[in-house]
Amino acid sequence: MDWECCWSRDHIEADHCPYVGEGEEDLLSSQRRRIVEKCVECPRFKNDLARMKGAGYPLSDVLPYILTEFQEQKAQMGAMLSFLNSRTREIKFLREVGLVLQNSIDLDEVLSIAMTAITAGKGFGMNRAFLLMTDKERRNIRGYLGVGPRDYEEAWRTWEDISRSNFTLRQLARDFQKTKLSSEKVKFHDILQQLTVPLADQGHIFNRALRGKKPILVENALNNPDLDRGLARILGVDTFLVMPLISRNRRIGVIIADNCITHKPITLQDMQSLETFAFPVAFALERASLYERLQEEVAKQKAANLKLREQQELIVKMEKMALVGKITSSIAHSIRNPLMVIGGFARTLLKGSSADDEKRSYLESIVRETRQLEEVLSEVLDYSESLFPVTDYWDLNELVVKAMGELEGVMNGAGVACRMELAPDLPVVRIDYKQISYCLKTITTTALSAMELGGELHVESLKDGEAVLLRVTDDGKPLSETAQVALTTPFFQTQELGEGVGLSLCKSILERQGNSLTITGRPGGGNTYSIRLLTKKETI
Amino acid sequence: MAKLLVVDDEANIRLLYAAELSDEGYDVVTAGSALEAVEKLESGSFDLAVIDIKLKNESGIELLQRIVKERHTVPVILCTAFSCYKDDFSAWLADGYVVKSSDLQELKDEIARVLAKRQKAAYT
Repeated sequence: MDWECCWSRDHIEADHCPYVGEGEEDLLSSQRRRIVEKCVECPRFKNDLARMKGAGYPLSDVLPYILTEFQEQKAQMGAMLSFLNSRTREIKFLREVGLVLQNSIDLDEVLSIAMTAITAGKGFGMNRAFLLMTDKERRNIRGYLGVGPRDYEEAWRTWEDISRSNFTLRQLARDFQKTKLSSEKVKFHDILQQLTVPLADQGHIFNRALRGKKPILVENALNNPDLDRGLARILGVDTFLVMPLISRNRRIGVIIADNCITHKPITLQDMQSLETFAFPVAFALERASLYERLQEEVAKQKAANLKLREQQELIVKMEKMALVGKITSSIAHSIRNPLMVIGGFARTLLKGSSADDEKRSYLESIVRETRQLEEVLSEVLDYSESLFPVTDYWDLNELVVKAMGELEGVMNGAGVACRMELAPDLPVVRIDYKQISYCLKTITTTALSAMELGGELHVESLKDGEAVLLRVTDDGKPLSETAQVALTTPFFQTQELGEGVGLSLCKSILERQGNSLTITGRPGGGNTYSIRLLTKKETI
Repeated sequence: MAKLLVVDDEANIRLLYAAELSDEGYDVVTAGSALEAVEKLESGSFDLAVIDIKLKNESGIELLQRIVKERHTVPVILCTAFSCYKDDFSAWLADGYVVKSSDLQELKDEIARVLAKRQKAAYT
């Protein structure tokens, strides 16, 4: 019989079968493959089968059954292949995202990749997603970040941009982190603010999803009396997915995803894919959050260590000074008495000598030099003595009045008036009375030396947060910066000030107790010496 | 003539004090240790004692406390190398206080002040 279809021929030419297309030329010489791939669907083959039946071919009744079965099987195979392909794509995508999530400890990077994966067409293709995280105190779930368009226009613009850019998912996430993350946090602020839910609210859908460790798909929320409509109203959609984020039984947070623009239904497959994805996201978020907290703790530790090192350096410095103090004290003591005897008898001899005695000038030299040596010794002894404080609680104002009273004669002699401005109700300060008294007197004496023409010395006490300030301000010549450094460095010599330990001793005394001394020049002339005293014991 | 007891462990200083204070018209008796000072205080009557805070192996402040404890009525002026002893509570028992110096004028002024104060108290 002359058949319409080419099924009976081993080889055919291209014009014998209209269904063999370009690129399928190998089918022309392969009868078996041609029948399986083309003839079974070909209307000419169906005509040939009808003719077979008419001609009484014995298999013509059986062949249509086999053919139908074959076609059904082929369709099923096709569906399964397509399913497998989509799964393969999904695994590839999850692997790509998972790799980034596994390696990243930067919270912003994790957020960017997770949220981009949910909302990008190359990812799960949801229109919008919100991330809510449990707070540090583990009391509430709080809105943290929203990603997606707010309206159709923005959606259209964004999706156009993305389709043009041809970025991979990873590139998209990086671009998002760089250009959009901070603005997206602000964009959905109004919605995020309303999403705070206490973890104790067991009936809330977020907590139900977390408890059940399963995503919950909410559909038709506005018309379903069993559901809380509040959440749907806040989100502005009635269909959304609530995905719990759990890592090692720890509730990390929740992702809400919806299709607020396209209103495309959320399928079971979407849910399953997102569920697979939620695990690495939760784990990465937890790790990044922990890392962030660790960084905070490390920074705190670093600061504490720095302070400790400073304190240690201060202690070492103080120990060195104490040693210097002990040595100088011992030398000074052994020198002081002989010096007193030399100077004392020189004075006795000077008193008894006549005005024209030529040896008188020698005696005067001895008296002058011993006096100068005695002054140096006094400073050295004061310094060494001050290294051993006895602290107690004292009223600073009382100390100021007493110390300034003792200097009244000196101030009158220098033509300087003292104006005191002492704050009432100052808290008591823990100090070594004689040391602080010494400091105030030393500062006053130093200030007086800058007031050659007399003037007014302003002494004030005031509260400064947790501390008490004692300020002495002169209206004399402002000190140069070198002089300010010199004042607080032992035995540092300047032309302006000569040499000595006075203020450097005060500075060491104050710093040893956690207090401080600062000297500042005033723009209009004059200098301010500020002592800052702590009212309670300093803790590291 | 006011009678003074000068307590210092340095012989030359005792000599200086004795010379200078005698010139001022005082009757000066000296002691080189706390023990000697106590003995002299017990055997005679003094108008004032000038005591060095740092005596060999002893403290002038302990001597001062002992004098006060044993109800000696003699006023005491403490002499020391440390100016900051002025603010030390234990030194507050003394009637006067001077920083040791080759210039004895401050000591002389202090002796005159304490004696005058004592005299005034005796009248009232």
